[in-house]
Amino acid sequence: MTVERILVVDDEPQIQRFLRPALGAAGYEVVEAATGQEALKTAATAAPDVIILDLGLPDMDGKDVLANIRAWSQVPIIILSARDRESEKIAALDLGADDYIEKPFGIGELTARIRAALRHRIQMEGAEAQLSAEGLSIDLVRRVVTRDGETLRLTPKEYDLLAMLARHAGRVVTHKTLLTSVWGAAHGEDLHYLRVFIGQLRGKIERDPGDPKIIRTEPGVGYRFIGDED
Amino acid sequence: MPENDRDLTRRPDPDALLALAEKGSRGKLTVFLGAAPGVGKTYAMLTRARRLKEEGVDIVIGLVETHGRSETAALLEGLEVLPPREVSHGGRTLTEFDLDAALARRPRVIVVDELAHTNIGESRHPKRYQDVEELVDAGIDVLTAVNIQHLESLSDVVAQIAGVPVRERIPDTVLSRADDVLLVDLPPTELIERLKEGKVYLPENARRAVDRFFRLGNLTALRELALRRTADRVDDQMVDYLKQNAIEGPWAAGERLLVCVGPDRLSEKVVRTASRLASGLNADWIVVSIERADRDSADSQAVRQLDETFRLAEQLGAETRRVVGSDFVEEILKLARREHATQIVIGTRRQRFPLRLLRRSLPDALAERASGVGVHLVTDSGETPAALKPVRKRAWPKGFGRALAIAAGTVISATVLGVLIESFIILQNISLLYLLAVLASATLAGYVAAIAAALFSVLAYNFFFIEPVGTFTVAEPHEVFALFVFLAAAFLAGGLASRIREQAKAARRRATATQALYDFSRKLSGTADVDDVLWATVTQIQATLRRNAVLLLPEGEDLVLKAAWPPDTELGVSDMTAARWSLEKKEPAGSDTDTLPTSPFQFRPLTSPHGVVGVCGFVQNAKPLEINEERALAAILDQTAIAVDRARLSRESLEQAAQLEGDKFRAALLSSLSHDLRTPLATITGAVTSLRELGARMTAESRDDLLKSIEEESDRLMRFVANLLDMTRIEAGAINAKRDWVDVADVIRSALERARKYFPDREFETSIAADLPLMRGDSVLLGQVLFNLLDNANRFGGEEPVSIYARKEGDEVVLSVTDLGRGIAPADLEHVFEKFFRKGKPDGRSLGTGLGLSIAKAFVEAMGGQIKAESPAVKRRGTRISMRFPAAEADLSEKERG
Repeated sequence: MTVERILVVDDEPQIQRFLRPALGAAGYEVVEAATGQEALKTAATAAPDVIILDLGLPDMDGKDVLANIRAWSQVPIIILSARDRESEKIAALDLGADDYIEKPFGIGELTARIRAALRHRIQMEGAEAQLSAEGLSIDLVRRVVTRDGETLRLTPKEYDLLAMLARHAGRVVTHKTLLTSVWGAAHGEDLHYLRVFIGQLRGKIERDPGDPKIIRTEPGVGYRFIGDED
Repeated sequence: MPENDRDLTRRPDPDALLALAEKGSRGKLTVFLGAAPGVGKTYAMLTRARRLKEEGVDIVIGLVETHGRSETAALLEGLEVLPPREVSHGGRTLTEFDLDAALARRPRVIVVDELAHTNIGESRHPKRYQDVEELVDAGIDVLTAVNIQHLESLSDVVAQIAGVPVRERIPDTVLSRADDVLLVDLPPTELIERLKEGKVYLPENARRAVDRFFRLGNLTALRELALRRTADRVDDQMVDYLKQNAIEGPWAAGERLLVCVGPDRLSEKVVRTASRLASGLNADWIVVSIERADRDSADSQAVRQLDETFRLAEQLGAETRRVVGSDFVEEILKLARREHATQIVIGTRRQRFPLRLLRRSLPDALAERASGVGVHLVTDSGETPAALKPVRKRAWPKGFGRALAIAAGTVISATVLGVLIESFIILQNISLLYLLAVLASATLAGYVAAIAAALFSVLAYNFFFIEPVGTFTVAEPHEVFALFVFLAAAFLAGGLASRIREQAKAARRRATATQALYDFSRKLSGTADVDDVLWATVTQIQATLRRNAVLLLPEGEDLVLKAAWPPDTELGVSDMTAARWSLEKKEPAGSDTDTLPTSPFQFRPLTSPHGVVGVCGFVQNAKPLEINEERALAAILDQTAIAVDRARLSRESLEQAAQLEGDKFRAALLSSLSHDLRTPLATITGAVTSLRELGARMTAESRDDLLKSIEEESDRLMRFVANLLDMTRIEAGAINAKRDWVDVADVIRSALERARKYFPDREFETSIAADLPLMRGDSVLLGQVLFNLLDNANRFGGEEPVSIYARKEGDEVVLSVTDLGRGIAPADLEHVFEKFFRKGKPDGRSLGTGLGLSIAKAFVEAMGGQIKAESPAVKRRGTRISMRFPAAEADLSEKERG
């Protein structure tokens, strides 16, 4: 099995300084870029399997780098961002970033995101038909959801919502993406639909809807399906 | 249909209800009306006041004249009396009603005697009834007293009855707007009795008139007037009541009078007559003047006369209109139809014989063409229209000499030319030369010159050319005929020519005025600054009207003088009061108005679509503004108001932009602060988690490097937090600089040691003078300052070494830190010590916190020193930050001696 290559784009030398040995120790090959221009060049030449991209770059806007790469490549991109830059995160996700992670972060969190992103790339090639989480199992082909062997009765919209999240297991799905894929393009802003349906869905699939383990809320951004593998 | 009609008429009249509603917020005005002095008005008023007081009403005596009568004075006992205002007038100190004190005291009810009184000297209003109106407007009930003779509409009747002119008058509207009118009546015989007993006070100057005035006949007539006026009022009130309550009425079916006035004395009489007629008929009345469209009404005397008439009409309660048109009769009838007038009132004067033949008088023409409308004629009492005479006289001599000279000049030229060419042409053609002379005179100097030239021409032609030459006799009869034809032709031609000339002149004048206004508005549109606008306005008023002007704008609660010509003009207290009045009431005040006329300025409000934006005052020279000047002023003020409004809006939008800029700056600051805190934290968290989770799989060097990075980032975080804490201490005023003896060289050495540890790649050079004295200060603070400066120099210093100098200059210790980086732009130099100022990108990445220098400044100043920045420092490069502290040598030597 080939070693997966990760491109880390960050202009802070301190960040690079710990990511290089840490990701290396986690079994990845690390290539670095400190500017947007350098990132674009390296993304094209080094063929990375995942890109970790800090949005604040000295020479250009990180979102422009993202859009530029997305124009020709579907390589998974994970955004490094600050908690107070919510709108920036959402914009990046809508521009095609796969996930984000907030600074400061633990290395375990980052490697989990990298794994989810890599797994998704494999799914794209041959889609997984079965998913499980906390005793819940979803058959995406037969459209059947069971918990502990018992079939759950979901409304079509609830099922669509769950399937959408499950297909992106381990990764964040933004409100807008969920709304437009389940309810249609005209409902991209109707956040209250989501609140209601996610609530109903959790009531049916979670063991303790007050402490959801399967569908996790990413405040201000969207939801994340946590499967057994994550 | 009749059903509907009745329903409509039954609905309460909205105007009547509106008037009632307006009365709601106003105070109540009660007028005690008497027929003559001595009937007991003051007594009745005070009796009422006492009763109110006993009922517990907050009542104050604003002003009462007891005239030393004990009966009346006794009534004042126990009532609160407002102290009068002292006014010095003509060297004497007089007392006057204190309006401001009354407004400040704000009782429920106030008693103010002598409604028709004229205020002395510098009062806000020239007349007391205006003081009373202001009190009523302010919501205070007023009890007041007045004699019937003071009513404006009756003043001429009273003057006729009593044979003495009435000087102090009040508009009828004051009485008609009063909520209550109480008639204080005393039979004339009793009044005369009281007078004989000396119970009636009369002013000194009226004593002489007593015998003439207090005659039974007079008093009876006045009593009748008072009774009738009160009865009329009762009738009015009943009609109002019926209208408000939609009771189908026996009231007169909407009589409306259209009153035609012109610029003559007679018009005042017409207005007074119409007023009496209107109140007798319970009719509304409209006063209208018609101006000729083709005539520039530059005759200011006539304009003033007309203004006077209109003012009188308004005081008497009329609506007023000014109409422009050429066919007077047509315009009047058109207006009468539009306003549903039932009667037309117009003045007529006996015309002199030839004029009467030549053209029909206006009243005749009206009477002939009016149908369904009554025409009232008010005749002239025979007195000459005095007002008209001086107008003619004044116009005549102006340029008269010049006109004669021009006429003579042209005729002489024509004669000389005639004599020269006499032998070549036939006689009759020479007369054409004179026609030329008449036309030339008309064109050059107007109608007077044309007539003079015509007369001169006839004489000259006769004398020089018609047989017998050399005499004024005419031999041939047909020559006489020719002369008359010539004279008539000259008159006509001259008239036409002069009229064209006048029109051209007027057009030119208008063009100049328009041009000036255009220039002014262009000037204003180019300026967004309020001060420039105001300055342009005062200079424009000076240029156009040749009057000094001031402009005041409100600032918060105050009204502030913003521009004046001449620029050093100062405003007195009464000027400011008038200006404020004008601003608040949105009407002219000061000179030549009803409010504070003693001010040399007349103030006008500057009204823009968004309300009153300020006040313009201009000096009323001896003569008031002429009508075209008035127009120019109105246009200038309109333009100014709009420009001020616009300037204010643009300033507000600038302020908003600045605020937005500030918000952006704060957002950038916050994000950069969070970045500065988060980056070291992210490094530490990342390194620690990496070591814990993946450390086993790392090489020893990698682990060591991660630990080192944790250490460094912790240091960085600590410095940053220390800076934030220092700043907080400074902000809280909590720095206590010690006053120890400080060895500067020592402090420099330890600061350098620290800097070398943090910035190992940076080269530092020091130059410390050997004779460096000690200074008083706090070595810890000074060390922190130096370190901050070195940190800063390291960050911005480029590749070259950073140097530190310390030396003595006079009795000061001077320390400086110099780098050879790119330097600071001159515009930024003054801001470098400001908190959170930082160069470069708005998010301030990797350029530091922007706290170091401001902390340095605060510390240096706490130690009694000064700090400043220079850039470029050396050879167009770099930045030098230098500090000066007082040296402590003298103190030291004292210490050694001790």
